[in-house]
Amino acid sequence: MTPGERAAAAIVVEDATKVIDGVTVLDGVSFSALPGRVTAFVGPNGAGKTTTLRAILGIDHLTSGRATVGGRPFAEHRQPVRVAGALLTPDAAHPRRTARGHLSVVAASNDLPGSSVDAALELVGIAGIAALPVGQMSLGMRQRLALGTALIGDPAVLILDEPHNGLDAGAIRWLRVVLRALADGGRTVLLSTHLMAEIEAFCDEVVVIDQGRIAMAGPLGHFIGGASMEERYLDMVEGG
Amino acid sequence: MRPALRAELLKITTVRGQWLGAAIATLALPAVSLLVAATGGVGAGDTVTSGAATGSIAGLLAFGIWAATVAAGEYAQQTMIVSLMTVPRRSVLYGAKLAAIGMVAAGGALVSAVTAWLVVWAVLPTGAHHTGEPFALVSVVLAIVAVSVLGMAVGLLSKSPAASASIVVVAVLLPKAAAGLLGGLERWVVGASPGTVITQAVGGAQLPHSQMFPGGAAAAALTMLLVATAVALGGAVALLRRDG
Repeated sequence: MTPGERAAAAIVVEDATKVIDGVTVLDGVSFSALPGRVTAFVGPNGAGKTTTLRAILGIDHLTSGRATVGGRPFAEHRQPVRVAGALLTPDAAHPRRTARGHLSVVAASNDLPGSSVDAALELVGIAGIAALPVGQMSLGMRQRLALGTALIGDPAVLILDEPHNGLDAGAIRWLRVVLRALADGGRTVLLSTHLMAEIEAFCDEVVVIDQGRIAMAGPLGHFIGGASMEERYLDMVEGG
Repeated sequence: MRPALRAELLKITTVRGQWLGAAIATLALPAVSLLVAATGGVGAGDTVTSGAATGSIAGLLAFGIWAATVAAGEYAQQTMIVSLMTVPRRSVLYGAKLAAIGMVAAGGALVSAVTAWLVVWAVLPTGAHHTGEPFALVSVVLAIVAVSVLGMAVGLLSKSPAASASIVVVAVLLPKAAAGLLGGLERWVVGASPGTVITQAVGGAQLPHSQMFPGGAAAAALTMLLVATAVALGGAVALLRRDG
């Protein structure tokens, strides 16, 4: 990566290594995600996708290497939810707290105005059930709330770990349109998913991780060539 | 840190079980003190103040368990992920949690102590007991804050509401229960334990000489606060070092 590319990248992971109980789960992982692009982050179960995303957000510590968002470690930003919004699991809201209560806590933690709560509820389409305890919401509704949590600060970077889980066909299309529009507006979207058709439909870049190592990183068109995303991906992680 | 503190207080107020737990903990001390006073359990040598403190163990346990379960619940309910994503500076997150738990515990303890004193004063026969030194009930507030801070730190260390609640119960009750096994350490360990700190401060009840802290009530309270601070630092180090 040239210094210019490094400066432009919103997410940079450099030589990230993570060892847990003697097992190397990330082994020198390096890649970047650029503004204005939707970057698909794919790999088999247990390949290290979620660990990488958690390391980018500072939730897990790297054994060595570095991960930055907007040029510095995520934890060093003063209003982190304005810099990056993330969805790692739909079950990260207290089941006894209402959707509005959950978003109010997130807004308060970063000094966001109360109107941001209403805007996020409207954006993800759950304003009508904002008073419902999260534990009484369906998986799809909880996933929308988690998306609202990620989007509440109108961040420049979005990090999403399998956001399609639990969404119905309409919501999957809605998410595709929203993420594409966010990227076209100059935001950085890093998306971990197993839905190859979705990647083909609207992603620009692909990063493939397998057994803790980056197997390939580059533009989607170069990766798939004349084949399908699924074909190329399975060739790489199963045939390689 | 102010937004993070506001968020931590909002977390408590937006989950019914959490604010209800704090409310019940606030009522525990005056309820037990009322029961003792109403059933003639306040001895002739007791004052209104020491009578008001008879329910302090209930208050200590209630606030300690509340703080432990609130803190450990962040892991049990997986909400720590969002907490770390929204306040990724762990020192700020820990400081905000500590301040929120401490503020709620201090406020609740103050209400508890004042209510207990008024209730016992109202229930005891007029003129039968001296009022004692009501200001000594500050020791109740200090002890409840210390146990709550300890509960919060243990909750974050253990990540388990059940385990952390058990540890709080043991920390509050074991020193006195195991006093006979402590030998020369008895006056240091039991004397600085939260319940005994309160007893030494308010006077009245019969406390064996072997359980009186060598430096007096103020030194005992200071030692108790230092132990709570040490445990709180342990919780901070754990949060700073561990993966989310």
